[in-house]
Amino acid sequence: MPAILEVQHLVKKYGEFTAVNDISFEIQQGEIFSLLGPNGAGKTTTISMLSTLYAPSAGDATIAGHSITKDPMSVRQVIGVVPQDLALYEDLTARENLIFWGQMYGINGKDLNRRVDEVLEQIGLTEKAKNRIKTYSGGMKRRVNIGVGLLHKPRLLFMDEPTVGIDPQSRRSILDTVKTLNQQGMTVLYTTHYMEEAAELSHRVGIIDHGQMIALGTQEELTRQVGQTDTLILHLDANDDPQALADAMKVLPGVREATASEHQVSLITPKAEDVLALVVAKASERGIKIRSLDIREPNLEAVFLNLTGRALRD
Amino acid sequence: MQKMLLIGLKDLRLAFRDRAALILMLLAPFLLTLGMGFVTGRFSGNADSGLSDIPVILVNLDNAQLGNALVETFSGESLAALVEPTQADSPAAARQLIDENQAAAAVIIPEGFTESVIPTAQMLSKQAEPAALQIEIYVNPTAPTSAGVIKAIVDEFLSRVEQGRITATTSILGIPGIEQMSSGQIETLAKQMFSGSDADAALSSPAIALNTGEQGADAVKFDPLAYLAPGMALMFLMYTVSYGGRSILMEKAQGTLPRLLVSPTDSWQILGGKALGIFLTGFAQMGILILASALLFQVRWGDPLGMVVLLAAAVFGASGWGMLITAAARSAGQVGAIGSAVMLMFGILGGSFINLEQMPPFIRTLSGITPNAWGLDGFTTLALGGTLTDLARPIIALLVMGAVLFAAAALLFSRSNVMKR
Amino acid sequence: MTKILAILRKDALVRFSGFSELLFFIILPILFTFLLSGGTPNGKQDQRIRLLVVDEAQTTLSAQIITELENSSAVRPEPMTRKQAQEQFDQRRVAAVFIIPAGLDVDSLQTGGASVDLRKQPNNLNATIIERAIQTALRKVSSVINAANNAVAQREKNAPFASEAEKTAYFDQALKNARALQENSPQRVTVLQASTPDQVEYDPRANSSAGQLITWVFIPLFGISELFAYERVTGTLRRLLTTPTHKMTYLFGTIVGQVAMALVQMLLLVGFGSLVMGLNWSRDPLALGLMLLASALAAAAIGTAMGTFVKTTGQANGLSIMAGMVMALMGGCWYPLELFPPAVQSLVKVFPTTWAMQGLLDLALRGRGVVDILPEVGALLGFATLFFALGIWRFRYE
Repeated sequence: MPAILEVQHLVKKYGEFTAVNDISFEIQQGEIFSLLGPNGAGKTTTISMLSTLYAPSAGDATIAGHSITKDPMSVRQVIGVVPQDLALYEDLTARENLIFWGQMYGINGKDLNRRVDEVLEQIGLTEKAKNRIKTYSGGMKRRVNIGVGLLHKPRLLFMDEPTVGIDPQSRRSILDTVKTLNQQGMTVLYTTHYMEEAAELSHRVGIIDHGQMIALGTQEELTRQVGQTDTLILHLDANDDPQALADAMKVLPGVREATASEHQVSLITPKAEDVLALVVAKASERGIKIRSLDIREPNLEAVFLNLTGRALRD
Repeated sequence: MQKMLLIGLKDLRLAFRDRAALILMLLAPFLLTLGMGFVTGRFSGNADSGLSDIPVILVNLDNAQLGNALVETFSGESLAALVEPTQADSPAAARQLIDENQAAAAVIIPEGFTESVIPTAQMLSKQAEPAALQIEIYVNPTAPTSAGVIKAIVDEFLSRVEQGRITATTSILGIPGIEQMSSGQIETLAKQMFSGSDADAALSSPAIALNTGEQGADAVKFDPLAYLAPGMALMFLMYTVSYGGRSILMEKAQGTLPRLLVSPTDSWQILGGKALGIFLTGFAQMGILILASALLFQVRWGDPLGMVVLLAAAVFGASGWGMLITAAARSAGQVGAIGSAVMLMFGILGGSFINLEQMPPFIRTLSGITPNAWGLDGFTTLALGGTLTDLARPIIALLVMGAVLFAAAALLFSRSNVMKR
Repeated sequence: MTKILAILRKDALVRFSGFSELLFFIILPILFTFLLSGGTPNGKQDQRIRLLVVDEAQTTLSAQIITELENSSAVRPEPMTRKQAQEQFDQRRVAAVFIIPAGLDVDSLQTGGASVDLRKQPNNLNATIIERAIQTALRKVSSVINAANNAVAQREKNAPFASEAEKTAYFDQALKNARALQENSPQRVTVLQASTPDQVEYDPRANSSAGQLITWVFIPLFGISELFAYERVTGTLRRLLTTPTHKMTYLFGTIVGQVAMALVQMLLLVGFGSLVMGLNWSRDPLALGLMLLASALAAAAIGTAMGTFVKTTGQANGLSIMAGMVMALMGGCWYPLELFPPAVQSLVKVFPTTWAMQGLLDLALRGRGVVDILPEVGALLGFATLFFALGIWRFRYE
């Protein structure tokens, strides 16, 4: 099957600063591809170039055969964009928004009305379609935001961090929507800094950090890179200092990496069972109570940690 | 109490950090005052009547005593600042210039004008008064006020001429044996009298003396900016007070208001603090504008104590309006829109733009609801040399206005759910 | 193009989504036009300047003076008690108060020392006009007495009177003659309005109608900057650029949409001026349409240029209102240009509002046609070209 998206050595510089440094990857038709990376990694810049918003400083990409540098208008016809920040007219109703954007995609007349009805159905807002967007909850607004990207039946859908800052229910609904769309044949490029989402949704993942693609492949391929490692997560009390504990854990034999985050310490170790006793002893030695323990099989978080020495989330 | 002050000061700081708000709070009234200064001629040093160097075209076909006298009048010292006369050769040329919008009016003195005025034997015998020759004033319709001034000058000239004629004729008529004199003799006599009466100043001025006194003319020379600058400042004060109110509703949307509400702070303290914030911001705004115009435009504002008290009263009254609008509105956007509309309405009703003299009485009464009208009244009194005691009426009115409006706002707030947890 | 219409529709829906826009679109402009034209919708009310007259003499002479004033074309005398008049004067509700003191009669005139008082508000143009009008009236009233006095003096020079009675008789006769002469005083001045193709009556309210039209249309057109800022801030502009819609289509559609709405607004205000205020706007529809279009384009262009550097809608809103008001003031929209000092009259030609106002007044007051307003149209189109070029060249899409 031909790749629907081919990115070739894409570069974006702002003066001295290089935001995207020679990125190349492909997306196959019908897959969900996640671009995973911490804030500031260059995900949004990459997706902005691919949506023909910014011109690349170097490199090119083709989407369904059209080059983003030479034929951006055709590219726009085949891509759908769901930006991170809501890009809707709050004073208009959902229906009015969809109609306008449909018209901007060149859909008109009866076709437009039909498509708008279909999309409203797809995002589950048929009943509330006549209300102004400003009266919607955050989750509902996000759904309309997605709906706009679907109107013209794009071949490739870009979704840029669609679940940032929303409640768990809406997030669940969005993730389900993405899966459903994909089942209906939509190819999706999904950027996120939430590992769980990338893990749940994607066929393949590209891990990006400081503007560079540091890992690319299916989840199995990636986790295999870090070899056999478990992640041991210690949940601490609010009053305890995770960083101090992490520093103490680092020196333990069998602990490869120890990182502190809010009320928890994550340890990378080849086999969790082997270090468990030492870890618990070290904690009680320092008078820190471990409230609970998680043992996690290797995952993308671990991959990232392994590659960069830092956590995905800061 | 202290919490109120803290909230108020916080709002004051926020307001002055908002660059967008500063545009309308400070920049706009400042620029408008500057503009007014140019427009009224205050900066070009000719603020006496707002009209100067009116261009007028003179055509003197008479070339005799009266025609020349009229041209003299226009070219003379006393009218030097007011009019700018130029001569044209022919009536057609003069009218052309007016048609081309080159001057306010053309004054065309017909040939034989002097002759037609000086009493002749015919006139004296009261037989067949010859049709009087008329001076034509050809007026530019887009400059009615200027043309009006020209017309007034010509009218005054003619009334003096007429007076001279009547005086001379009356004297001649009374001379015993006038019926026996020959036409020639009469004419010579008439000419003599006429020239004589012209030269006699006592006869060419009215017997009734007109004493004019400008209010406080000895004391202070009135500066138009002393009226216009506060007018603009007061108008934009209304913007400021509604801006402050907007922040209450914005805080509700932003979430900082609920946070305040769950802190150990009484909701009345919060509202009071907000109201104080509005007051302080308004006071600061007016203060800055007044200082700026005093320093940059040399506007003499008058008695400082009276100024401060008047300012406080005006801001108090305006703040009442701000709070009322906020209490009645449902969203920050609404407050903004209503606030702008009210700002403009009060500006015009309160006399910031135009003198209220020419307005029908009901509008003059309506202006009493605006802080602008009372404030302007007070500022003008100050500029003319008044002191605190002279400001009793406007200050009391403003305080009453503020008190009533605050009470109404409080009532509305207690009923609405803005302050509900 | 359907996309342009789609943009137009979207902008109209967004703009008029709340009632408050109607306020600024039509309600306030009409209100302002009405108020600034003296609160008189049909101009039938007496336009003369109010003058309060306190007649404490109540003699035939004082009555004569007041009659003269009533005949004046400049002032409208209003009788009042001294107390009332003083109150109104102190509240600055009137430009001047004219007081005829007790004892003013023909005798005092003869003996000399007759005087009347005029209290004027300082720095008030109306007060100055009032003063002149009163001087003229006084002169008229006293001239006959003057003339009679003079006749007596002249006669006495040549042949002294035999007795007081003779003198009085002579005086009375002279007075009669003088009065007769005055009554038959011919009209020595005629006022003609500059020739206009049609009979155009001067109407001072044309100033306010034209001035308010320009003010209230220019401000929202400057507000195009706010539109751009809004779309930039909400991200809809960015999104638009990912659709197969050209940048120029967006710009063109947005600007044309706002210009169209402005034209509608102007037509509503012109309609109000014509139908309700009875002004003469519909004389030359082609010329009027040309003027309105050129003005709208100039204002839209400035709004577009402003949109290149404002960052938030709040900034844009404040700037449009400020720029609109300042330009309106300087362009003669609130106070007639003829009242400006001559140097300033030339200076304000840098503002498009000055040209727009001039053009509209040419149409309404001087009865001009298309050919005559071409200079103004040209200037406005010049502004439009310059600022559109600037705005489009520097347009930031985020």
